[in-house]
Amino acid sequence: MTKRLVVILGLFVTAVALLAASAAQAGHRSVKVTNVTFAGWSSGPDEDALDTQMANAFNRTVGAKEGVHVTWQVINGDYGQAMTARFAAHNAPDVFYVDSSVIGSWIKQGVIQPLNGYVTKSHFDTKAFYPKLLGAFEKGKTIYGFPKDWSPLATETNNALLAQAGVKAPRTWAQLKSDAQAIQQKTSAKHPICLSADWARMGAFMYQNGGSITNNLTSSANAQAVNFYVGLIKSGLAYTPPAGSWCGQELGQGHAAIIFEGNWLLPYMKSTYPNTHYGVAPMVHNKKQGNLAFTVSWSIAKNDKNKAAAWKVLSWLVGKQGEKIWMSKGLALSPRKDVPSIGGRKPFLAAAPYAHGWGFGNPNFASAYTVMGNDLNAVIAGSKTTQQMLADVGKALKGK
Amino acid sequence: MVTPTATRAAQSRFNTSLRGARAREAGWGFGFAFVPLAVLGLFFIYPLGYAVYISFFHWGILGKTAPGTGTFNYAKVFHDPIFGTALKNIAEYTFAVVPLEMTLGLSLALVINQKIRGRNFFRSAFYFPSIASSVAITTIILYIFSQNGLFNHLFGFSTDWFGNASTIGWGIVSMNAWTTSGTVMLFYLAALQAIPDDVYEAAALDNTSAWRTFWKITFPLLRPAHFFCLVVFGIGALKLFDQPFLIAKGASGAPNYSTMYPSFTIYNAAFGSYDFGLAAAAGVIYFVLIFGLTVVQRLTVGRQEAA
Amino acid sequence: MTLQTSVANAEPFVPGRARSDVARKVLLYGLYLTIAAVFFVPFLWTLATSFKTIPDSVNVTFFAHPWTTEAWRTLWRDYDFPTYIKNSIFLAAVIVTCNLFLSALGGYAFARLRFPGRELLFLLVLGTLMVPDQLRLIPIFVMMVHWGLYGSFWSYILINLVSAVNLFFMRQYFLTIPRDFEEAAKLDGAGYFKTFWRIMLPLALPAMAALAILQFQGTWNDFFWPLILFGQGSTSHYTLQLGLAELHFNYGTLWPEISAGAVIAILPILVVFLAFQRYFVSGVVSAGVKG
Repeated sequence: MTKRLVVILGLFVTAVALLAASAAQAGHRSVKVTNVTFAGWSSGPDEDALDTQMANAFNRTVGAKEGVHVTWQVINGDYGQAMTARFAAHNAPDVFYVDSSVIGSWIKQGVIQPLNGYVTKSHFDTKAFYPKLLGAFEKGKTIYGFPKDWSPLATETNNALLAQAGVKAPRTWAQLKSDAQAIQQKTSAKHPICLSADWARMGAFMYQNGGSITNNLTSSANAQAVNFYVGLIKSGLAYTPPAGSWCGQELGQGHAAIIFEGNWLLPYMKSTYPNTHYGVAPMVHNKKQGNLAFTVSWSIAKNDKNKAAAWKVLSWLVGKQGEKIWMSKGLALSPRKDVPSIGGRKPFLAAAPYAHGWGFGNPNFASAYTVMGNDLNAVIAGSKTTQQMLADVGKALKGK
Repeated sequence: MVTPTATRAAQSRFNTSLRGARAREAGWGFGFAFVPLAVLGLFFIYPLGYAVYISFFHWGILGKTAPGTGTFNYAKVFHDPIFGTALKNIAEYTFAVVPLEMTLGLSLALVINQKIRGRNFFRSAFYFPSIASSVAITTIILYIFSQNGLFNHLFGFSTDWFGNASTIGWGIVSMNAWTTSGTVMLFYLAALQAIPDDVYEAAALDNTSAWRTFWKITFPLLRPAHFFCLVVFGIGALKLFDQPFLIAKGASGAPNYSTMYPSFTIYNAAFGSYDFGLAAAAGVIYFVLIFGLTVVQRLTVGRQEAA
Repeated sequence: MTLQTSVANAEPFVPGRARSDVARKVLLYGLYLTIAAVFFVPFLWTLATSFKTIPDSVNVTFFAHPWTTEAWRTLWRDYDFPTYIKNSIFLAAVIVTCNLFLSALGGYAFARLRFPGRELLFLLVLGTLMVPDQLRLIPIFVMMVHWGLYGSFWSYILINLVSAVNLFFMRQYFLTIPRDFEEAAKLDGAGYFKTFWRIMLPLALPAMAALAILQFQGTWNDFFWPLILFGQGSTSHYTLQLGLAELHFNYGTLWPEISAGAVIAILPILVVFLAFQRYFVSGVVSAGVKG
């Protein structure tokens, strides 16, 4: 009798113990882990390492608490084409880079998730972002992404050549011209300014003359700006970089004394031309201040299956902690007023109030950009007039 | 003695077995040809149909982007001045590169065809550029013809051959004519070797000059080879994509549309504007052009050809 | 050589003629050698550049100063070229094998097996040659995305299992083989596949060799379809040509590295060509003129 009791008690205790254990297990398992991927292109090993660092930081902090595990995925090659295939196959990464020049067309294709609902639900502070930057990813009042970084253009000059000519970095169009003339006369630089045949540089000049790319493209203010830009090249004060090179390389090699490039020039000069001493000044201006903002957002796919988890990741990435890590290498500038950029970036940051997001949210921007580049080359070569180019580009922007 | 009925019975048995044999042969024939036909059907014929289909819609990344069926994509292509420029560029390119590579190839073949010493060496040397890939050749040529490169250094030029709109077209023509001439040479070589020696002997007996022998006798006898090269290399030229894509670092057509070709307009419509319907329409137009050109060649140069 | 031809080839001895003949020959050979040199120079230059340092590569000198294999080591270490080479070899091997088998099979069927619609179907096969790659671009892109094959090698392998040119080529060759072999096989009671596998295929070995070489060249050098089908997303899938293109796009001024990459891209084909020249030439030739 006792033996049977002991056996039954033993079985009972074992059963209870097993039940308790499984209940405890279930309790742990009820915190499900959602896997989220965030992806983008990589401009080099620095960027890749930084993204991985952010992933680890998130997983350790917010991720562990909320049950979200995030992995970074780099996409090589043609980012647009790779993402197109993923959108079409409904297996795009959860959170990904979107360049401001393509956000317009991706919104039109219906592949980007509007974020306003998530913003209100989580009381996300949108005011910390520079309005023009956030605006580059908005359509009306709908937010389609948050800028993760940006860079405008600035004036970079070769210290040696400027000292030789006895001039300082130009601030206005008039100074630009006179400085170039002085350098041309007093130094060996026959064409002191390097100007790319690219609306992604000339566009800033259009805004500086009071013109606009989104509004009345064929205005006389725009035409004047184009004529000034092209005029510098035609008069010999400026030249376009030869095939295979760019103005940054021209500055590094000492061929150009004055160029207009963005923050990306700085890491490039440090690694490729460390012995060329150059200065960075704010972008020149004319009637007004005008600049372009080259900015990339974090966005979520419309067909995403883990939108809530993806939002947790996105909001952290563009939140104070994520941006602090992202800014540590100085690859680009901070889009938030409350997160400082790395040192020495004041000339760039000054442009925040008047830097227009490159792409302007236009859904036809890719094909318009092809027209821009080719037509500008034609104007420089003399086979098209400024008015014709502005008309062509205007039509292309409207999708004609 | 065999009775008529027996013969007929034997004959009918023979007939059925013959029909059976025919059927079996047909079955095996289809079986053997099935996979190749399926692959070609699936990846050439079906895409052609699919492209024609979506060319009538507004088609984007996720399928139809707007309602409506019609020829609007075709209209857009026809009214696009960039497509017109692309057509002009590819026509200029094709009409320049094909005669050039045929002339070069034929000349090289004539050289090899003579009883010269080191024939194999020369044949290898002349064919060598043809075996390299488009990427390798383009990067090599860009390096040699860069503004401070070997070519300018040797001949005292300072032009940016592949950076100027005015020279880039001819640069691509020259580069591709050079790399294709080797293959053309091989075809002409075989054709030349197929011409019997007595033809030349007859000409020698008449004391015909070498030049006249070539023009009046050899050249006309090469007609089948001419036709073959025109068609094959003509189609190849029309499909130009790799080299300008590498030179312009993309399908931008820079500088100044000098490298804008139909293959680029299609590529840009697909991966720049995400307008798949437009890209399909442009592709169909392109196909019709190639088809038409081939038919014209068949009817003119190839007319003497027995099918 | 018959008496006739020897008479025709005999040249009357004219004093003085010999020297101008020699002069003519020297001039001609000089011309040929110059042309050959022009054809070779770019490649030799590239090879020479691959042994230069980056600052030295801007100089227009043939001999590197200092001479270094740094570019080659960089490609191996930092730019993942071993993976690219491996990928190229894999694709070439698979596609050449499939093409050999399928085009021999199909070519034989079109040449020797009668089935209804054979001529029409063959015309259709030839017709596919006119369909430009860019027309197929979108449909194949969409197809591969929907089948979940986009970004993997299988998409590329599938569309390249067999080509119209190869089918045409094998058919041409089978047409030239006398029927006696098949009739003998039939008398021995061999079935269609056995006839093909045991008798026709071995007879077609020369053509198969030529086809293998040409297809290897085509696949090894291919740029467009790898770019579209698996060239966007991960460098682990890059072929040699894609890797070289990426170097050119993103690091366009690393001339020594690009030169080294170009040499690696050309080398295998060169080796195959030099070793199997006979088949190469006969392949290109019979693919065309006999048609």
